[in-house]
Amino acid sequence: MLSGLSARGKAITDTIVESLNAYDIVGTPENYALWWEYHSGTNPPLARTMNALISNQATFDDATLRDLYVSFLSSSKEEEAIREASSRVLETLQDVIALADGGRADARQFGSTLATFASGALCDEMATLRRSVEHLVQESKKMAGRTEYLGARMRESSTKIQTLERNLEYALKDATLDSLTGVANRKSFDQTIRRLAGDAMNSGEDLGLLMVDIDHFKKVNDTWGHQVGDQVLRQVAKTLELAVRGQDYVARYGGEEFAVLLPRADNQASYIVAQNIQRALLRQAGSFGTDQPVKEITLSIGVSCYEPGDALSEWIGRGDAALYRAKAAGRNRIEVI
Amino acid sequence: MAEMAAKTCLVVDDSPTVRKVARRFLRHTGLDIQEAENGQIALDQCTLKMPDVILLDWNMPVMSGIQFLRHLRAASGGTEPKVIFCTTESDVDHIREAFEAGTDEYLMKPFDAKMLNDKLGNFFVFDHDPSA
Repeated sequence: MLSGLSARGKAITDTIVESLNAYDIVGTPENYALWWEYHSGTNPPLARTMNALISNQATFDDATLRDLYVSFLSSSKEEEAIREASSRVLETLQDVIALADGGRADARQFGSTLATFASGALCDEMATLRRSVEHLVQESKKMAGRTEYLGARMRESSTKIQTLERNLEYALKDATLDSLTGVANRKSFDQTIRRLAGDAMNSGEDLGLLMVDIDHFKKVNDTWGHQVGDQVLRQVAKTLELAVRGQDYVARYGGEEFAVLLPRADNQASYIVAQNIQRALLRQAGSFGTDQPVKEITLSIGVSCYEPGDALSEWIGRGDAALYRAKAAGRNRIEVI
Repeated sequence: MAEMAAKTCLVVDDSPTVRKVARRFLRHTGLDIQEAENGQIALDQCTLKMPDVILLDWNMPVMSGIQFLRHLRAASGGTEPKVIFCTTESDVDHIREAFEAGTDEYLMKPFDAKMLNDKLGNFFVFDHDPSA
């Protein structure tokens, strides 16, 4: 059992597990194969493309991973090599599990030195590794089954392929929305702000950002309960979507904070949109799902415009600083930085 | 810096905004900055004198960045310049095509000072932090 587990193979497997965790990647056989090729250094063209993605802090979303696999690993000639690489990784993973399982017995066989070594810190480490590896293997087994099933279905008829593609599209679309409010989620925002800032850098056109926070939201939750809190979040999201123009983009940034991107809007135009949002919310005398009317909901808004060459984090930081200033100055205000 | 002063960087982009930002970020490197607004103009400039490094946009009128790069690498002395593709194109197919055409680095827009200088740092050693 131990003979199948070369030190280098185990080292690469550890690194693959680390990478999948670091980039939040599902452990499918295809993804194992990609990262095996990357870390083992056997595929330089794949490695330099992945390095370009990593150095630009691009996200390894499902579409990107699929493109990498299709582009570098799924040509018919290479397909077998990949399946081999994939099963090699799985085998190594199985070995690691077996090693963790049989750790104590092996240690006895190898004598007291190894027994001492395998106790304490190493055992803890192996237990942790084992849990994550077991999970990954389970996931990939599930995925392997699903992949075969899809393959069979695809051969059946092109109509069914189209249905599957549509379903996939829906799944991808859903993954970009915040489930509570129906506006774009944080993950989608992170990608969209890059795309819009890239366009603004090329065109030289303005790009405004609103950081929007619900005032005293904790008090709403504490006083009326979380259901009312959720209703307030939905109402604010709806108000934001109705108050902005067609090309604008609304996302839930986190908690009770929303972000709005405004293409072709300078500070002044962004300020006006922010005012419109505040006024639209005031017009809605909502009971927010309670018997008694909830004291009116107000918003604090920070405004900041993209300057070509800004680091995105700097720009968002300015918007947050403006929001903080609006809060500090008494809330229900708009500040521009 | 004496050694750096002789080195040249050609910024190839149809966007005046991007050329201006790049010039600002490169000011402290000591690189001599040239500009071209499409691939054809860039190619003409390279025929006169090869730059040491080229910052290259993808989508441009007249001649695109990828067409320019293929012409450049086929030209006499055209393998010498270090090329950094600099584009909003961020998908796998574009990145792969760029490397196959002979780019040395790939930088995605929107870029900031640190991102650009990190890429340049792979080719040159600067006397001081250029982003400072």
